[in-house]
Amino acid sequence: MALLDVDGLDAGYGDLQIVENVDLAVDAGEYVTIVGPNGAGKSTVMKSIFGLTTHMGGSITFSDEEISGYRPEDIITTGIGYVPQNGNIFPSMSVMENLEMGAYILDEVPQDRLDRIFNRFPILDERRGQTAGDLSGGQQQMLAMGRALMLDPDLLLLDEPSAGLAPDLVDDMFDRIDQINEAGTSILLVEQNAKEALRRCSRGYVLVQGQNRYVDEGDALLADEQVRQDFLGG
Amino acid sequence: MGVGNTGDNVSNLIDDTRDRLSSLSGQELFALLLLLGIAILLIDLVRRLTMGELALGRLWRYTWNGLVDSLYIALAAIGLSMTYSILRFANFSHGDLVTTGAFSGWAVAWVIGGWGMYGIGELVLFSPTPAGPTGGELGMDVLASPVAILVGLVAAALLTIGVALAIDRLVYKRMRDTGGIPLLIASVGVALALRYIIGVFWTVESHSATASAPIIEDFPDWMWWVPFDRVNLHELTLVLIAVGLIIGLHLLLQYTKLGKAMRAMADNKDLALITGIPTERVIFATWTIGAGLAGVAGYLIVLDRGQFSINIGWFLLLLIFAAVILGGIGSIYGALVGSLVIGLTINVSLVWIPADMNEIAAFTLMILILIIKPDGLLGGVETA
Repeated sequence: MALLDVDGLDAGYGDLQIVENVDLAVDAGEYVTIVGPNGAGKSTVMKSIFGLTTHMGGSITFSDEEISGYRPEDIITTGIGYVPQNGNIFPSMSVMENLEMGAYILDEVPQDRLDRIFNRFPILDERRGQTAGDLSGGQQQMLAMGRALMLDPDLLLLDEPSAGLAPDLVDDMFDRIDQINEAGTSILLVEQNAKEALRRCSRGYVLVQGQNRYVDEGDALLADEQVRQDFLGG
Repeated sequence: MGVGNTGDNVSNLIDDTRDRLSSLSGQELFALLLLLGIAILLIDLVRRLTMGELALGRLWRYTWNGLVDSLYIALAAIGLSMTYSILRFANFSHGDLVTTGAFSGWAVAWVIGGWGMYGIGELVLFSPTPAGPTGGELGMDVLASPVAILVGLVAAALLTIGVALAIDRLVYKRMRDTGGIPLLIASVGVALALRYIIGVFWTVESHSATASAPIIEDFPDWMWWVPFDRVNLHELTLVLIAVGLIIGLHLLLQYTKLGKAMRAMADNKDLALITGIPTERVIFATWTIGAGLAGVAGYLIVLDRGQFSINIGWFLLLLIFAAVILGGIGSIYGALVGSLVIGLTINVSLVWIPADMNEIAAFTLMILILIIKPDGLLGGVETA
C-alpha cells in the first residue's frame, strides 16, 4: 500500500476543472516528481492533495486515511507538509518566528527538530534573528522548507523549489532535497526544471493538459525518445 | 597638505555635490525641500525662544499636549490598522467604536459613582433633566472616585468589544470574502447606524461627564526635572494607561503565540491558513484588541476633555486615518509613529498658526510625507 494514493482525481477552482482523472502514488521513502508543460495542472494536483482546490471526484488516501475534502489545517496533522511556490514565508517576521509558525499546531516548539533544521540549513541558524523578507531567494526557499519540516512530515510536497533561483543555486537546492529524502521523508516534487528533477527522482509522472501522460522511473522517462521530444526539448 | 591641494578638494566637493544634485529624483528633491522647511521652522523656534517671543514653558505645554493627543489617537489607530492588515478593509465604523466606548464606559462610571443617590436612568443617560447631578456633583475625578473611573474604563473596553464582535457576526463575517470595497461601504453604514443608535438614547446634545481634573502644583523635591509647574491628573492618567496598553500590546505581538499568529496572518494570510493558524480565532482576537483599545481611547478622551457628544469618534476618525496612513497602513508600529507625528504637529504648529487651523498643518505634513513615501513611514513593514 502506497503512502499516498491519488486515484482518478478531478479537481479545479470553483466551476473550472483543471485536472481530470489523475492517478498518482508515492510509496514510503520514495521521491516522486511531476513534470509537464506550463498549465498542465502540476501545481493543481499538489494543491488538491493539500485541500486547497475544489475537489470534484476521485479519492486521495494518505496512510490509509481518505483525506479528500479535508481542510489544510486538518491535513497538516496527518503528516503532509507543503511548501507553496510563492508566498511561502512570513516576510516581516524573523527566521526563528517563521520556523515557530511551522510548529504552530504543537503545544511547544520541538527543540530537536529545530536543531535538525539548523543543522541542515546552517545559514538559517546564523540568520535566526533576521527578518525573513531580507533573506536571498535561495535562503527564503530553505526557510520555507525548514518551516514545513518543523512538523516532521512523512511526505513533503514541494512546488517548484528551484523557480527564481540563480542557476548555481539550483543544484544546491536539489542536493538538499536529496538529503531530506535520504533522511526518510518522502518527497513529491513539481518542477519546471524537468531534466534535473527526473534525474534525481525515483519515479516521474508526466502530466499534460490535466491528465496523466507517462509514468515511469525517472531515468527511463529521461531516456524515452517520445518524452524527450515532447517535453524535454530533445 | 598644501593650499592648492585643499582648493582641489573644495572644487572636487562642489563638482561632486553638483553631480549628486542633478541625479536627484523628484521625490528626493521634495524630501530635501521638506527637511529644509522643517529645519527653517526649528531655527525659527530657537530664535523665538531666545528672543523671548515664546516662553519655554509654553513649548513644553504644546509638546505635552501633543503627546496626550497622539496617545489617544494611537490607541484608536492601532485597532484600525489591525483590522486593515488582518481583515483587509478600511473600517469606517472604527471611530464610532470610540464613541461607543465613551458612552458605555462613562454610563457605567456614573452608575457606580452615583449608586443609591440618584436613579439609574438619570445616571446612565448623564442627567437628561436639569434636576439630575453633574459630573462635578458626582465627584467624577480620579482622586474622588478612582474605583468608579477604573470600573468605567474596564466597562468601556468590554462593552465596545461586545458591540464590535456583534457587528462582526451580523455584518462583516457574512461579507468576509467579498473584498475590501463592499466591506468599506458597509462599514460606513455601520458607522452611521451605530452613532445614531447611541443618539436615540443619549440625544445629539453635548454631555459633561467628569468633574474638573485635579491638579498637582506642588512637586516634591525629587521631581525637579519635570518641566511643568502643574500637572493635570486626568491627562497623566490618560498617558499612563495608554502607554501601559501600548507596551502590553507590543509584548503580546512579539512574545506570545497569539501575537505571533496575528502578525503571521497580517503578513501572509494564505500561508497562515496552511500552517494551521486558526484564522477565525485570530480575527476574534483582532476585533477584541482593536475594539477594546478604541473603547478605552473614547473613554480616556472624555476623561481628558470632560465634554463629549455622539460625534466624538467620527470627528476623530479623520485624524486616526491620517495617523494610520502616514505610518503605513496595516503596520501597527507605523500607526504609533503616525499618531505621534500627527499629535505633535497639531499642537506644536500652534507656535506659528492659530488654533482653529492646526489640523491643516497635520494634514499638509501628511500629504507632503506621502508624496515622498507613498507607502507611509513604515510602509510595507506590515504588522511587525
